[in-house]
Formats: sequence, C-alpha cells, structure tokens
Amino acid sequence: MITMALAKGRLAEESCNLLLKCGIPAQVIKSDTRKLVLSTEDGAFRFFLVKPTDVPTYVEYGIADLGIVGKDTLMERGADLYEMLDLGYEACKLCIAGYPERKDSLTNAHLRVATKYENIAKRLYAARGEDIEIIHLHGSIELAPVTGLSDVIFDVVQTGSTLRANGLVVLEEVYDVSARLVANKVSLKTKAAEIMPLIEAMRRQI
Amino acid sequence: MAYFKLPLGVQDLLPDECYNLNVIKAKLTALFEGAGYRFVSTAILDYYDTYSDIRNKIPQEKMFKMTDVDGSLLVLRPDMTLSVCRMAAKLKEKRTKLAYFSNIWNARESGGISAREVLQGGVEMLGVSGAYADAEMIALAIECGMALGLQDFILDIGHVGFFKGILRESGLSSEETEEVRRFVNAKDIIGAQRIVGDSKAKEAILALPTLFGGVEVIDRAERLTDCEASLEALRHLREVYELLVRFGYEKYISIDLGTVKSLSYYSGVVFTGLSGVIGASVLSGGRYDALANEFGSDFPAVGFAVGLKRVLIALERQGDLVKAPAAECCVIAEPHCEAEAYAFCLSLRKKGKRAELFHGEREEAMRSGMQVYLVGKEGGRLL
Repeated sequence: MITMALAKGRLAEESCNLLLKCGIPAQVIKSDTRKLVLSTEDGAFRFFLVKPTDVPTYVEYGIADLGIVGKDTLMERGADLYEMLDLGYEACKLCIAGYPERKDSLTNAHLRVATKYENIAKRLYAARGEDIEIIHLHGSIELAPVTGLSDVIFDVVQTGSTLRANGLVVLEEVYDVSARLVANKVSLKTKAAEIMPLIEAMRRQI
Repeated sequence: MAYFKLPLGVQDLLPDECYNLNVIKAKLTALFEGAGYRFVSTAILDYYDTYSDIRNKIPQEKMFKMTDVDGSLLVLRPDMTLSVCRMAAKLKEKRTKLAYFSNIWNARESGGISAREVLQGGVEMLGVSGAYADAEMIALAIECGMALGLQDFILDIGHVGFFKGILRESGLSSEETEEVRRFVNAKDIIGAQRIVGDSKAKEAILALPTLFGGVEVIDRAERLTDCEASLEALRHLREVYELLVRFGYEKYISIDLGTVKSLSYYSGVVFTGLSGVIGASVLSGGRYDALANEFGSDFPAVGFAVGLKRVLIALERQGDLVKAPAAECCVIAEPHCEAEAYAFCLSLRKKGKRAELFHGEREEAMRSGMQVYLVGKEGGRLL
C-alpha cells in the first residue's frame, strides 16, 4: 500500500485528476467527507489531505511515502526528502514586489521585507550580501507595503491583479515554482516495486 | 522559566525504554566483540578547531559551543567517526578495530526527524583497505540489522568516487559542486540542471538521481562516463557487491550511486541501512581513507554507526519492545530480623532471582504479584 500526502485545495484536485489519468481510482480524494484518511476501494492507496506546509513533514517522517506540494513550500521547509518530478501544474513565480520607487528612510537602513517565506527570503538576501529585516506575515502580504509595514514583499504571484489594484509592481521575478512529487527517502527503496511504476506513469502524463 | 523541563531536542529514557536500549546494546556488543572489535570511549568535550580546522569541517552552526577557562572554544562531540579518528591517530598500532556506544550532539534546533542528542553504536576498522574489507564491514552492518530483528532490512550501497570523478571532470567550482551534491542527494534533477548548465558531464550528473536499484545500475552508470576515476569506483563497487553475493547477502543489498552524503570525509564505498517501518535510515557508514591525515597520521579506515533511538522506534512499530521486568520476589523481615532478611535476599539473588527487600505493609506485598518471603530468626518461608 502507498500512502500519499496531498496539499488541500486546488492542488489536491489537480493531483486527483493526474492520478485518475494514471489509472488510479483516486476519485475518493474529491469525495465530500470529514474523514481524515481516504482509501481507494482496492486498498492499494491511502491519502491524507493536509495544509500545504505539512506535506513535506508527513513525507519526511515517513508517515506518507509520497506527497504532492508546491516547490515554494519545499524551498521554505527545506525537508530531507527526494524530489522526484516537476508536475508542471499550479505554476507561478516567487517575486519581490513593491512600489516602483523605494521611499528613503533615515532611521531604517535595512530593507524591510514582508513575507510568509521567511527562510527563502533570508537565504536569497544573504546570498546577495544584503542586510534585511524580515517581517513574517501569514496572509494578505500586499497590505504590508501599502500600510508602511514593509518596503517590499516576497511572495508568490499568479496573475498580479492584487498588486496592480494597490499600485504595486513586480520588481523582480526570482523563482519559478510549480507542483512537485516528493518521496520519502526510505520508502523509495523499501517500496520501490510499488512506487517506481507510479512515478513512471506520472512522468508519462506530464 | 521552568528549569525542571528539558531543552528542545533532548529526551529522558524511562525504565522501559532504557531496558530495551540495554537489550539492543547487548546484542550489538556481542556482535562487535565477536568480530574482534574492542570498545573505546572518547571525550565528550573537544576543541572546536578539531572539527573546524579540517578540510571536511562540520558546519559551525551545527556544533554546541562553550568557552574554556583559558578562552579556547570547546564543543560537545559532534561526530563519532571524527572523534575516533582523532583518538586513533595517536595509537601505535595502525591496524585496529574499535567499537563504541556514544552520544553525539547536533546544535541545530529544527532537525526534522533528528534529535539534538543522538546515541550511536558503531565500529571503525582502521588500517585495512580494499574491496574484501569493505564487504566485511557491510556484511557486519547487515548482521546488525538481522541481530536487531529489523523487518524488511535493506542495505543501500554506493561509492562516492563515481560522483567525485564526474564532478572533477565537469569543470564546476567547489561551491557549485557542493550545491550539485545537495541537489543530487535530494534527487532534485531540476535544481541540479540549473547549475550544471552545459558542462561536459551534464548527462551523467543529471542521471545520478535515477541511478538506484539493483546491480544493473552499475552497468547503466558505466555507459554514462569515460572518466577513469569514476569507472574505477564502479569496478570497486561491483567487486564489493559480488563478494556480498558470495557471502549470501544478495537479498539485503540495493545500489544507489546518487547517495552523496553531507559528510564529505567519505572517500570510497558508502552505505545506509533502511528498515521498512521507519522513514529514516537506522545505520550509516562508509570508507574514509584520507581523514587520518587531518590528525597527523595516515591509515585507511571504514566504519558505520547504528542510530539506537531509531532502532528502538522501528522495533516498537514492529511490536517487538518489552516492559522492563521488575523484581520477582520480595523479602519481608520479622521484627529485629533485618540482617537475616538481607542475607536471605542475597541468597535469592545468587540463585538468579530478581529479589528486593520489601518496605511497605505485608498486604501490599501480597497484592503485588511477587513471591513474598517472610524471614525470621529460623529462616525464610514463602507466604
């Protein structure tokens, strides 16, 4: 039996479609239920629907053999696991965004960066040798520069409409991100006979 | 601040866990001593420079640091292989087999599945090189997995020489090489692609993450490169593999050339022990022939360490842990007969019983499920 952790929401729906195309009776993922663990009828697969940031955790600890989650989440978590496939869907960009002109400040020489990707932002600016102050937020990141909480934001941008509506622009596109198939390092070896054909089937679909 | 609580990442071992830990330590001790290994214990405190002034240094943020009274920087031993190698460099005999049960400490707060205090049991075979010695060491690792009773135990073997050879030919800088190593270790082909660009070894590097499975992996790898160092590594790996097959261990072996560990002191075969019930390795090791040079000596070496906590977790998931047995008999003294009771208790212990003096009410002893002896001037009787 293979256990998969899937990020809740649109990502889970796309993942379900992909699994169906690979011949796995995964429609149970779309069922309207309060069950936490969903199994296919033949008992060959088990699914957990969890918050995106928790997918790498379930896979790293080996509770799930496989997981599907965005590259942004993987980069932020830095979990010790195998990244097997770029599934291509849920593609977007991790960007630095803000007002076209940065307002100078006498009392704050550091660039203030609002983000929910604290670790990626730290690494990014450290690699550039730039001192920054991270302001960790959990949602509506765009509000930070609008209200003066930060100078810029570092966040995923899909259409950019929220940015435009608030007078913000993308200053730099830093990373391309999309959904990835990840595997637990031990499961890949101990369940190779089940997992490898599935990965091959998924590779052919993308 | 509640000082009776523990800092993050460390744990107490309560009686039942400790009992099982001692059981697995006894099994490993028998195995190691039976194979001619002698136990050592290295100091817990070490100089910071021991681990940072060497080529394959431990990252400074991974070490627990303290300042000595003279101002020198000390660390809690962060790695056993380095520690044993440092100690062995001053031994007169250059061919020796050492074993240990020791903690190592890792200062990083969030280590995922890893704790900050890690108990390891391991062996190092010093002064011997060659495929036969490598195969013997890997065979001992497999025997550990079997002796500990780990289900679906697999030993994944690789050779860092294959990766190192390809990387040397690729013309990448040492920083780029380290980045590629990280990507390859995560089987992240997309990440590796970004760095590798159009370098000569592109095809081989991008194939690395897929080079795992059975012995056919070695055939595939041979077709990917004409780098002599890499081909030599593959020839060596095949020799080790064939020896292990002849030892009768074929079914425990898988091959992974994409396992390129972060501890860069490894110079030859590397291997990892995996159990089907726990999503992390339970054993890890390899050959490190150049490491003794860092400590002013020169000998080839190969070894591995078993993560004892992970073994306990695996055994618990298999349902193979037991409760720590308490005393099976107790001895109650009649008034003024404490000395007789004590002597009687000792005689029970001599017969191999777990016996204790009882300090409560007699009814409580009767309810305890133990055999209860009452001892007076005339001797003891079973109640």
